[in-house]
Amino acid sequence: MSPTRKVLKDGLWTNNPIFVQVLGICSTLAVTNNLRNTLIMVLGVTFATAMGSLTLAFMKDVMPRKVRMIVTVLIHSFYVIIVDILLKAYQPAISKQLGPYVGLIITNCILMGRAEAFANANKPGLSFIDGLANGLGYGWVLVCIAFIREFLGFGSLLGIKLVGEGFTPWTIMVMAPSAFFLVAIFLWGANTWKAKASQGGQKK
Amino acid sequence: MKLKKESIGYVVIFTFVVCMAFVVLLALANQVTLARVKANQQYASHYAVLKAFGLADPETSRDEVESSYSSKVKELPEPSPGLSAYLSTIGESPYIAVKITNPGLWGPITAILAADPKAERILGLEILDQQETPGLGGRIGEAWFTDQFKDEKVGTDGKVSVSQGSGKGDPDKENSRADAVTGASRTSEFVQTLVAKALSAVKEIGGSL
Repeated sequence: MSPTRKVLKDGLWTNNPIFVQVLGICSTLAVTNNLRNTLIMVLGVTFATAMGSLTLAFMKDVMPRKVRMIVTVLIHSFYVIIVDILLKAYQPAISKQLGPYVGLIITNCILMGRAEAFANANKPGLSFIDGLANGLGYGWVLVCIAFIREFLGFGSLLGIKLVGEGFTPWTIMVMAPSAFFLVAIFLWGANTWKAKASQGGQKK
Repeated sequence: MKLKKESIGYVVIFTFVVCMAFVVLLALANQVTLARVKANQQYASHYAVLKAFGLADPETSRDEVESSYSSKVKELPEPSPGLSAYLSTIGESPYIAVKITNPGLWGPITAILAADPKAERILGLEILDQQETPGLGGRIGEAWFTDQFKDEKVGTDGKVSVSQGSGKGDPDKENSRADAVTGASRTSEFVQTLVAKALSAVKEIGGSL
């Protein structure tokens, strides 16, 4: 398998940030009761992780080890604030809806996790792909959870009502506890699947 | 003299240069988009005032909003610092709107409330800015919540109560109450206080017209 393909597969599945690295869980709990906010969060995290990893990989040879974490936070903050500025200027409606979400991307553990685990020791191109794959790996899990939560919690998807007036919303799905047990179900399901797949592979 | 990568001198110079470079780039991006951001904020305020007066809806174009605002809305002198007031005549009757900022759970909530000069019935409420919990208190900006205040009769105590109900919106316009956001009772209490303060301001301005 080529390095690029391996990095992509790792981020999306084998070493998925949510159910293997267990990173970015705070935002998974916070944003997934609304599919539209989830999609914007995913785009923001993917952009910041990919661009942050790329920049860091370019700078790693001249960066002193002592200040690497503070510089990493600076780089990620830079990209996140750029996203915030662009949204405020060109997509004010989305910017208003997201409110404090965008700034919170800086604290997403996936950004620092990929910087420390990958971008600090790899070439810029591959680091960019690693950031992209991890952002998308985080994204597809979040979208699945948001799909379930918004549909059962509000009876809608992307704010569009899909069920009739007779539907009783599952209020718990809108609140944080539902994200805890949905994430746990995802972790359990994905890890069971992976364990069975590896056992099957060993038998062969 | 060549500095070693881990020496104090190199660390200080490197950190300073990197911080300066990113700060300059951010300041540049901010400066380039500043005029556009200010124009967006002004438009959002004009739209919210018109929407509270019932003179605009999401279908109204940006140009229509600006022309309606300049022709139908009169900005009144600031009744008190931080409070803006607007007057519009709809049909034959004058209506007053106020832009008010009041504390919320995580930060200030800025809203525009329009009502008749005696503050007996609300014409409309628009949330202009808030920092409440996304997905919970943040839902006070959604149409189902703000629409509850449209044409709502104000209670004899000058309030509209925001209390736990079905969570779908209270359609009764005569009971002086609105459904709170499920899971955000504290934010709903802050909205209740904000609406009461806005109504009191409208009444005061209406009395001096």
